[in-house]
Amino acid sequence: MRRRDRRRYLVFEVMSEIEVDKYKLLNAIWNSMYSLYGDIGTSESKLWLVKYDKKGIGMLRCAHSKVDEVRAALACIYSVNGALVGIRVIGISGTIKAASRIA
Amino acid sequence: MSNFFDLNVHAYPETNTPAEEMLRVARRYGYAGIAITNHDDSVEEQQETSPSIYMGIEIRTNSVSELNRKLKQHSGKVPLLVVHGGDEKINLAALKDHRVDILAHPCGEKGEGVLNHVLVRYAVENGIAIEFNMSALIYSRRGDRARILGRMRDNLHLVRKYKAMSILTSNARSIYDLRAPREMIALASLFGMRREEAVSALSDIPLSILEQRWNKEKEVEIL
Repeated sequence: MRRRDRRRYLVFEVMSEIEVDKYKLLNAIWNSMYSLYGDIGTSESKLWLVKYDKKGIGMLRCAHSKVDEVRAALACIYSVNGALVGIRVIGISGTIKAASRIA
Repeated sequence: MSNFFDLNVHAYPETNTPAEEMLRVARRYGYAGIAITNHDDSVEEQQETSPSIYMGIEIRTNSVSELNRKLKQHSGKVPLLVVHGGDEKINLAALKDHRVDILAHPCGEKGEGVLNHVLVRYAVENGIAIEFNMSALIYSRRGDRARILGRMRDNLHLVRKYKAMSILTSNARSIYDLRAPREMIALASLFGMRREEAVSALSDIPLSILEQRWNKEKEVEIL
C-alpha cells in the first residue's frame, strides 16, 4: 500500500501592476478553482499554498494527477483585488526540496 | 521545443501597452513571436517595429458590404488579415473570402455566434484559420463561460471533422492578459482540445500562416 498521497509542487510567478497580497491571491485561486471545477473537483485537487513571497513567486501543492487542472485555474485568474494579474507556472516538482531550487 | 506564436494581440495605439513591451513579455513566456492585430476602426496607421512582431489588422464591422469594402482596402497592404467574428453573416462572408487569413473568435466574445458544417468547409477551401480566443475563457465566469466552452467544444468538433486549421490566441490587451504556451494548452484542454492539437495550434499552424503571408509578399515583390 502507498504510504502517502502523491503530490506535485508548482512554482508560479505572478505578474501584476501592484504588489499582490498573499491572502487575496489565495482567495482568487480558490474562487477560480470553484468556478471551474465546483466543490468536488476542487476538493480532489488537494490544493495548498505552501509559500508566497511579495516578489510574486509562490509555491502550490496539489494532487499529482490534477496539475493541468490547477494550471488552467491559475491561467483563468485575471485580477486580484482589482489589479490586473497574469500567472504563469515556472516549474513543477515532486518534492518540495527540488521545487525550492526552481524558485 | 517548438516555436510558439500568438497571432492576436492588441497593442498601442489601440491599447496602452507598446508592441515592444508585449513582445518582451511574450518572449519571456516562451513565444518566438507575436502578431499585433489592432481593430481597424480604432487605429489609423501602424508601422512594423521588430522582426518578431508581425503586423496585422482585425476588421470589425456589422455589415457584409462594409467587410468586403474593407477587405479590398487592406488586402495586399497588411500582411495578416483577421476578421472579427461572432456575427453569423460576418462569419460566412469572411470564410468565403480567400483574402482572409484568420477568423477571430467565430463564437463571438460572449459565445453568441455559431459555426456550422458549411462555414467550416469554406474555411478549409480558402485556407482560413479558425481562432480559439482564450481571453473569452479567462474573462468570463459561470453561465457565460459555460456557453463559450460549449461553443468551442462544438467548433473543435467541426474543425477535427473537416481538418480545418485552428489557432489558439490570447487576444491580449495588456501584458497581464498574455498566457504562457503551457497555460494556453491547459486552457484549451477545458473544452476538450488534446495536447498535440493545442501545441500545433500554437506553433506549426501559426507559423504556416505567417510563411504563407511571407510568400504572398514575395510574390508581390516579383510582380
